[in-house]
Amino acid sequence: MQGGSSGIGYGLKYQARCISDVKADTDYTSFLTGTLSLKEENEVHLLRLSSGGSELICEGLFSHPNEIWDLASCPFDQRIFSTVFSTGESFGAAIWQIPELYGQLNSPQLERVASLDALVGKINCVLWWPSGRCDKLISMDEQNIFLWNLDCSKKSAEVISKDSAGMLHSLSGGAWNPHDVNAVAATGESSVQFWDLRTMKKVNSIEHAHVRGVDYNPKREHILITAEDESGIHVWDLRKAKVPVQELPGHTHWTWAVKCNPEYDGLILSAGTDSAVNLWYASASSSDEKPSQSPVESIRQRVNPLLNSYTDYEDSVYGLAWSSREPWVFASLSYDGRVVIESVKPFLPRI
Amino acid sequence: MATEAAPMDEKAKRMRDLLSSFYAPDPSISTSGSSISASFDNINSTSFDADQYMDLMIKKSNLEVLLQRHVQMAAEIKNLDTDLQMLVYENYNKFISATDTIKRMKSNIFGMEGNMDQLLHKIMSVQSRSDGVNTSLFEKREHIEKLHRTRNLLRKVQFIYDLPARLQKCIKSETYGDAVRFYIGAMPILKVYGDTSFQDCRRASEEAIEIIIKNLQTKLFSDSESIQARAEAAVLLKQLDVPVDSLKDKLLEKLEQSLDGLQIKPEEASLLAEHNDSSNDAESNEQLPAKIHEDAVRGFSEAMRAYREIFPDSEERLFKLAKALTAMHFENLELYIRKRVSAADFLRIFRIIWEDVILMDEVLPEAELSDLSAEAAQVTVKKFVARTFSHLQQDISDTILKFDINQKEAVEEEVLKVVLEASKKAGIQGTTDIFQDFRQLLDENIGIFVKMKDLIIGWIQNGFQDFFRSLEAQFLALSGKTSSSKDIEGGLVEGKSSDKIHAGLILVLAQLSVFVEQKVIPRVSEEIAASFSGGNSQAFENGPAFIPGELCRVFHAASEKLLQHYIDTRTQKISVLLRKRFKTPNWVKHKEPREVHMYVDMFLHELEEVGKEVKQVLPQGTFRKHKRTDSNGSNTTTSSRSNTLHNDKMTRSNSQRARSQLFETHLAKLFKQKVEIFTKVEFTQESVVTTTVKLCLKSLQEYVRLQTFNRSGFQQIQLDIQFLKAPLKETVEDEAAIDFLLDEVIVAASERCLDVIPLEPPILDKLIQAKLAKSKEHNNNNNNTVSS
Repeated sequence: MQGGSSGIGYGLKYQARCISDVKADTDYTSFLTGTLSLKEENEVHLLRLSSGGSELICEGLFSHPNEIWDLASCPFDQRIFSTVFSTGESFGAAIWQIPELYGQLNSPQLERVASLDALVGKINCVLWWPSGRCDKLISMDEQNIFLWNLDCSKKSAEVISKDSAGMLHSLSGGAWNPHDVNAVAATGESSVQFWDLRTMKKVNSIEHAHVRGVDYNPKREHILITAEDESGIHVWDLRKAKVPVQELPGHTHWTWAVKCNPEYDGLILSAGTDSAVNLWYASASSSDEKPSQSPVESIRQRVNPLLNSYTDYEDSVYGLAWSSREPWVFASLSYDGRVVIESVKPFLPRI
Repeated sequence: MATEAAPMDEKAKRMRDLLSSFYAPDPSISTSGSSISASFDNINSTSFDADQYMDLMIKKSNLEVLLQRHVQMAAEIKNLDTDLQMLVYENYNKFISATDTIKRMKSNIFGMEGNMDQLLHKIMSVQSRSDGVNTSLFEKREHIEKLHRTRNLLRKVQFIYDLPARLQKCIKSETYGDAVRFYIGAMPILKVYGDTSFQDCRRASEEAIEIIIKNLQTKLFSDSESIQARAEAAVLLKQLDVPVDSLKDKLLEKLEQSLDGLQIKPEEASLLAEHNDSSNDAESNEQLPAKIHEDAVRGFSEAMRAYREIFPDSEERLFKLAKALTAMHFENLELYIRKRVSAADFLRIFRIIWEDVILMDEVLPEAELSDLSAEAAQVTVKKFVARTFSHLQQDISDTILKFDINQKEAVEEEVLKVVLEASKKAGIQGTTDIFQDFRQLLDENIGIFVKMKDLIIGWIQNGFQDFFRSLEAQFLALSGKTSSSKDIEGGLVEGKSSDKIHAGLILVLAQLSVFVEQKVIPRVSEEIAASFSGGNSQAFENGPAFIPGELCRVFHAASEKLLQHYIDTRTQKISVLLRKRFKTPNWVKHKEPREVHMYVDMFLHELEEVGKEVKQVLPQGTFRKHKRTDSNGSNTTTSSRSNTLHNDKMTRSNSQRARSQLFETHLAKLFKQKVEIFTKVEFTQESVVTTTVKLCLKSLQEYVRLQTFNRSGFQQIQLDIQFLKAPLKETVEDEAAIDFLLDEVIVAASERCLDVIPLEPPILDKLIQAKLAKSKEHNNNNNNTVSS
């Protein structure tokens, strides 16, 4: 497809992996991103899309003590976010607050609200309660899953409950179910696993190897999307999780991340290590409604699910985030530290 | 207008109406006051108003015109006067002549009365005389009548007394018709007086009748009797009030039972077909099954004909029987073709059935057997066509799956090649056979086939379309690359089988798809154009018939998909290898590299397998050949050059500044080569291998990026990559891209390294040499063990 450079770019100083939409910021479309540099001083950038949507302004630049492997913005307070960082030898996770007076300082320090330091292994990600004001957090390391209670005023976080996934499943990431706040999906070595947070027990799993990214469809209950190393993108219906509902070809190399659009059902964004971001339209309903059709027919009838491929990147793309304020805008981050904001508006009428 | 007309004299109005209705062809024009202006001028209309007319006239015209009008009117009035006079005169004339005629009639009637009186008188005398004659003859006539009656009675009594004897006589002469007639004639008397005066007579005659009934029944049941006779017997029996229906039922049941004998059972069908085959050369003494069958059917139809005449009211059941037989025939035929049947055999059986149908149709034209069987025949032929295709598909997939491939064989012996060749052959042979079969179908000149020709062509075209489509689906299913919606029910099973299928087979399927696209489909479309064209008019309306272009596209897509799938499965395997390699050790606490890590061996081994598989199945790329001759000569030099280049880079990268410089140069490189990394896969050995290597190296890079290394960890990576360089370049066509990717891995490792100090080139060399020597030794050992 065409790799039109319609996007708005912004360069970070160092390599980076993660970008997050600032959900709580209702006035602007903004994103948080953090760098991944082993030896340099790492930074967190707060980026804001100008009102005309033509420029990406750096609204704040904060130094962060270690290289950032994961970053998530708090859904109810735009100044709070979480990071997962590494010192090279060990991993840690913390909740940060952007200082009030950052406009005046040159390179202000972030305020550490709490550190999630019950972690022992290699921590992978921190998840926020999916919507609304709730001080619950989830963190995952390779073997364990923790549920935290965050108290911003006291600047502390306590472990409420935890469960071990076992040595064999090294967890790598996860997603919190927006439809059922007691369910969390975690990607492991050979399967996607589901936890019930009330009992803190594993309830279900999809046996599917090498899942890199996972995301719930926010518009449709029971629909989960996974991205895999070699075999592309799969859409699952959790009620019958044996076989995927739909399969998308994914990327030439690994598909790293996958994100469902928060507003438009079926619109999926995927980022891959082939230096591309693909925009898909997967209407899971089509296969639900016409099961009687012969498979050959239905394959043929299905239009090409790939709406567009954004190829204007120079390295693998790891970071991907839809804006929840302007759901047709997404931010992508390639390893070389380039943030690109694109609008999918031209493809919306086709849905 | 109507109110103006009201004062007009009633009579005048009526007159005028009459006149106007007489003169005007359309009275509605004059009577209706629809057009006012017209009615003023129109003197003939009922709504004519003289005053108004005058007014209008005076207003409209000048004096001269008025004068003129006056003169004209005067002339008209004069004319009308003379006409009136003429009419009066004529009427008067007619009146006078009428008076004359009446006068004459009066004079003629006069004098008729006398003649009439005379006539009456004469008639009276004739009557009185005839009365006299009548009374004198009355007594005699009464006597004669009495005598006559007595005689009749006596004759009847005589007849009844004679009845038993007469019946016996009839039995002897077998004139049952007469006997029944006599008996029925005597019945009323026997009924009334049977218990008293004619008791003996009655008993005797009843006995005789009993015999007659029995005889008639035997006659009815005996097949040797002529149909005429049997029909008569049935009629007589009916007259004798014998319950014929039960007889009929019995007969028909017998007929139904004989149906079973007429079935062409699937087992027998093949016999039938075979014997038909050999009937020419072996005039055996035994009757051939086909012949037997024909006779049986003939007998059956004869019986039907007979029963139809005997029991005209039993047609319904006969129809049912005939229909049942036809249906049964076609059902059996369907059963028969469920097994594999050649078109010739199918046609033979079909012909037999068709003959049967024609026979029966002659007997029972009203049963509309031909319609019924034409329908059934259509269905059957359609099924036959469909089945032939499914057999072909089965054949091809059987050929593919026949070989139980295990990993070792696939690589060592050229099993894949064999499979590919075999399935190619199956494809070509199968389509050839199928065309032969269908040609036979079309050449068949049974009436129904001629009629169905268009339909059959349509089916064949459709059949090919569906066949190729399902073949493609099957290929995909076989490869384990199932589309998700397809096998929700069989998901688990599918998953298992996809594990089982050998990666090489996917490659075979991919190549087979290419073969189908390039060879089979054009062939088929040629054949279709040559001998199966036409028949478009009806067939195309229902659905798309054979569209080679679309199928080619489908198979092209399938082949690409399969090839991609092959590469995917292969890279997946290697990817697992690499993942293990990078996940297990603690890279931050890595020890100094002692030797090249063994995963490199495994990686190379996997690649070697891919190479071997690919070599069996895919053609060699033409592009590669001359490149190889190029590089062969300068092989050593290039590698050494790249070595030095690389070392150069590494030494520079010691300092931080240099590292960022290196990074920049690689960024620049990235701009140039980005497009080349993931090029489209072609159906050549080299392209597939290259793509696999590229993907694996990219994976390697990604794995490296996820780790953090200490100095020794980095050095280990450096060593491994350095070792990989030479063998990879040998196998791959796009050396530049591989170089780039290998460098990328090193760069990634250096970026993720806490303390970047590369190994000194001499140490690097030494370790690599050691590894090479070791692997050589290993190979030698292997060879030794094999040879010893």
